[in-house]
Amino acid sequence: MKRTVLDYALKIRLPLTLFVIAVSFILTFYISRAERDGVGYSPQQPIQYSHKLHAGQMNIDCKYCHIGTEKGRHALVPSVNICMNCHTLARKDRPEIIKLKKYYEEGTPIPWKRIHKVPDFTYFNHSVHVNKGIQCETCHGDVKQMEVVSQVKDWTMTACLDCHRQPEKFVPYIQNIKKGPENCWACHR
Amino acid sequence: MSSSLEKNKYWKSLEELNNSPESIKAKHDEFLEGVVDKFDSSKLSGMSRRKFLAVLSASAAIATTACTDYRDKGEIIPYNKRPEEILPGETNYYASTCTDCSLACGILIKTREGRPIKIDGNPDHPINKGKICAKGQASILSLYDPERLKEPKFGNQNITWEEADSKIITALNNAVQNGKQIAFFTEKLFSPTTKKVIDEFVKKYPTAKVYSYSLISDKNRRDAWFETYGSSDLPSIKWNEAEIILSLDSDFLGVEGNFIENMRLFSEKREVVKKLDLNRLYVAEGRLSATGMMADYRIRVAPNQQLEFIYSIINELSNANVITVNSIIKSLVSNYSIEKFGSKEKINNLLKDLSSNKGKSIIYAGDTLSKEVHIAVNYLNELLGASNLYDWKNINTNSQLSSSKEIEELISNINSKNVEVVIHFDSNPVYTLPSSFGYKEALKNVSTVITLTESENETSVAGNFTLPINHMLESWGDASTRNNIYSTQQPVINPIFNSRQKESIILTWINQKYDVNNFKDFLYNNFNEIIYKRLKPLVDLKLFWQTTLHDGVVKLEGSSTPKVFNVSSLTKLRMPASSNKFTLHLTESFLIGDGRFANNGWLQETPHPVTKVTWDNYAAISPKFAKELNVEMNDLIEISHNDKSVSLPVLVQPGMSDTTINVELGYGRTNAGDVGNEVGFNLIPLIGKDLSLIIENVSVKKVEGKYKLASTQEHHSLDDTFVKDLHRVRKIIQEGTLKEYRKNPKFFHEQEDELVSITREHEYKGVKWAMAIDLNKCTSCSACITSCNVENNIPVVGKDQVLVGREMQWMRIDRYYSGTSEDPIVSNQPMLCQHCDNAPCENVCPVNATNHSEDGLNQMVYNRCVGTRYCSNNCPYKVRRYNFFNFRDHFEDAYYENNLTSMLNNPEVTVRSRGVMEKCTFCIQRIMEVRSNAIRDGKPLNGNDVKTACQVACPTNAISFGDANDINSEIAKLRKHELSYHVLEELNVKPNVTYIAKLRNTHSEDLI
Repeated sequence: MKRTVLDYALKIRLPLTLFVIAVSFILTFYISRAERDGVGYSPQQPIQYSHKLHAGQMNIDCKYCHIGTEKGRHALVPSVNICMNCHTLARKDRPEIIKLKKYYEEGTPIPWKRIHKVPDFTYFNHSVHVNKGIQCETCHGDVKQMEVVSQVKDWTMTACLDCHRQPEKFVPYIQNIKKGPENCWACHR
Repeated sequence: MSSSLEKNKYWKSLEELNNSPESIKAKHDEFLEGVVDKFDSSKLSGMSRRKFLAVLSASAAIATTACTDYRDKGEIIPYNKRPEEILPGETNYYASTCTDCSLACGILIKTREGRPIKIDGNPDHPINKGKICAKGQASILSLYDPERLKEPKFGNQNITWEEADSKIITALNNAVQNGKQIAFFTEKLFSPTTKKVIDEFVKKYPTAKVYSYSLISDKNRRDAWFETYGSSDLPSIKWNEAEIILSLDSDFLGVEGNFIENMRLFSEKREVVKKLDLNRLYVAEGRLSATGMMADYRIRVAPNQQLEFIYSIINELSNANVITVNSIIKSLVSNYSIEKFGSKEKINNLLKDLSSNKGKSIIYAGDTLSKEVHIAVNYLNELLGASNLYDWKNINTNSQLSSSKEIEELISNINSKNVEVVIHFDSNPVYTLPSSFGYKEALKNVSTVITLTESENETSVAGNFTLPINHMLESWGDASTRNNIYSTQQPVINPIFNSRQKESIILTWINQKYDVNNFKDFLYNNFNEIIYKRLKPLVDLKLFWQTTLHDGVVKLEGSSTPKVFNVSSLTKLRMPASSNKFTLHLTESFLIGDGRFANNGWLQETPHPVTKVTWDNYAAISPKFAKELNVEMNDLIEISHNDKSVSLPVLVQPGMSDTTINVELGYGRTNAGDVGNEVGFNLIPLIGKDLSLIIENVSVKKVEGKYKLASTQEHHSLDDTFVKDLHRVRKIIQEGTLKEYRKNPKFFHEQEDELVSITREHEYKGVKWAMAIDLNKCTSCSACITSCNVENNIPVVGKDQVLVGREMQWMRIDRYYSGTSEDPIVSNQPMLCQHCDNAPCENVCPVNATNHSEDGLNQMVYNRCVGTRYCSNNCPYKVRRYNFFNFRDHFEDAYYENNLTSMLNNPEVTVRSRGVMEKCTFCIQRIMEVRSNAIRDGKPLNGNDVKTACQVACPTNAISFGDANDINSEIAKLRKHELSYHVLEELNVKPNVTYIAKLRNTHSEDLI
């Protein structure tokens, strides 16, 4: 049988093209995965607040500002009056503090950029985890070293379940920790 | 052939018929002249279409990538200065008082981030003890009703409060100067401070006169008490000590009296688990009421024959020398014999019980019955020693209502132009007053008609000033319905619209200037006068005020001595006019009251406890009567009386008296709002000037036409051999009599099949959630259904969807009839997801969207659901609900899709969208809350701490919930009780909702 152009296109060119498409798709999928899951997301905040300075150098406890961690669902970004506990006196002359003071005096809340977000149908509860002794760093990374906060873990259901299934691997610092619930209604309802 | 075609040629216009030249040309050209222009390519731009699209898409792509970050997650906006008590994500509770009806129950309002999301009863309140009715539960929807008035209005014009106030004050002053009357029209008042505000108003404007009128009231009872005991204050009744109760057309377990308290006390004597202690309830009524469904014996007595009925009981008992009657009565009753009322056996049982339980039996007549009946009942109670059961320490104080004569006087004063100003103080007389008074027409003779109301109503559109008032959750206030209780009301949210507190508006007219806190200060001062000075507590006033607000209620020392029966009142008794004609019995709507809740979709859609009809009222008549009229369900009949007539659909109701027509009031409103307008039929015009709700000698006839009633449960024919008593055959309802149970406690567990499973049984090692429902206590009041609606964000679907069976309530109360259609035995059964261990729904889900948790819950995951509805098809209990639409935007053109109503949603529960299956979750959000609290406190999880929404709402505590694996818990004991059973046990699906079988306290061992 005579070889035709059509033959060449079907036998060589088409599979080759499909192969290239598939490989590039798979590569992009895996390489971009972390970014798509939000890892490394560190947006510009309305006030250049440094966790490294406050939590790291000055060693202020996370729960001093994030007052909800032990009490309820939300950790809570601090209201401006918590900042003003110190900053009515401390570093009043710095430009960022002047900005802060302006917010406080005008009574407008600060529109902080959100970094960590679970979907609407997921009912995550901080107090359950914190009261079990899980440290903030386990999920949020070493915030004490961050000038600008960024997300370090991927915020996916897999990440939650990994820890719920093998807590000894992810929170080795808690003795005799039991597995977390894996049923749907533990988080979704 | 061709000639006939020629003849039948069709034509579009006269021009065409006449073959005009234009029409011939028009037929030739495709388009008319001028529709399309000539095309000139030289005028077009040089850019080709392909290039244009390329530029467009490239710029769009650049814009999206350059200007936004696809990872952007929005903002977190914390408080600027966080209020100390508010922690976002956590719940706050405030005690207050429900002012939607004159019971003034204590309530506990749940708020999240400053917005109220649920109302429950206040457990510290001594009357309602943590329970409120379905109406109270659903009333939170009225706060977020998008049709509430937003601004004060004059006619259709919005005006400012200052303008309105100054115009009204001028009108009031003019009226006083001209010596013309100011009519102040209110509903029944139960707040001492509001009464004082009105007194001050009358002092300031001396020509003012106060009229108070309620469509539904216990005026006849109060008047009778005034005659017989010299005071219209009523002692409350110790239902929990009564062994025999005879109810005469009274729905005391439904809507009459303090029904929340009645239900609680009554159910204490329906205890089969902790101890075996049952009272016996006889109900003599013409309709089938919620109380009638609970009866051990029902006797059918038309409401106009009740006087004869009670006379004949007195006669029989006196003939049997059980009681010694006064000579006046003796001669009056001697002609009446009880034999005409029902079967001899029942009557003999009743007489025997009454005579052998002196001091422990009580007869209770309904609010709608005449004063004579109440006097006769009070007398018989006195003779039977029922005054033992009157609780003279807890007196229900009275608030005077105007007599119909006074209202007639008002209207004649208006018509003779002696009234210049009419103030409707949160009342709606244009709707609630019978049209025979001519009130609406009379209002045209008044120059200033002011209506204080939350949303537009029939009265506000008939007047000129319409002033928006605060919802009860935005208001300050107080209430005192008993001599020894004072409860307070506090706002839990700022007024959402530009509305004011109704008392504050009146105070503004008294003081001539407005101040936001004027009523709050007035209330505080009055609290000092009437409570603080009376109690003399050791703390200072401000602290005592704050603790009172915190608790919501203060208990006072009540002092009252038992009153003596006044024998001379018996002279008021007359011979009953015997009539066998048809009687129309109008009763309060079980769910929308006297019509004030008409715009509340949740209440309109809650099935009526007896008939299961939603979104309508109807004429309930007996099957025999229906046969005589040759009508069946959904046929229209016309009821006429005194030249007025109303046509409405028929509902054939087993158990009705053959001469009675029962219709609920409160429907057929014309200005209630989009939800409530034209729902049902308005029967108020048939009421006469005597305001009696029992209308004798009405004429009834069949009229042409059909109407569709939306009922959530079929009326199974009682005569049909195939479906008759199906619920008993299938063991859905298992019940017995007390006698049978005493003889053999395991009477229905004797012939049980051994159930085998072909798979390995799953073991539940940790907690295992389970529910038990005591059918002895359930009165079918439906508070659980509305509570569930509020808790779980359940949408309103509308009548058209209920008609095709798409109602969304997660819980329903099934009602089954057995016996004969004259004398049906009614069984009620709350039905919700049974959380079966071997759940049939789970096996058939193709995407594993419904599955089982390790603590025994049948989980439903909305995000996985693809909407095959296999689960619903395979569910033997039919408790799964499917979102055929996004019901939030589907109901009445997206009535509930607005920013305001979405504030109502419980943030702990996902709002479901179209195409998703849903069902009862055993209130998983509450379970998880208790669980997280246990972890926080470092305690083990205690199943008894979890209280589901239906359980909290149940006025009779029929519902228990907890951990079945905890052997000391109540639920574990209930599951093992010999009266407990599961519905459709033989399917071996192993449900986790246990029912406690109902025991009927009859004289025989057999049920039917």
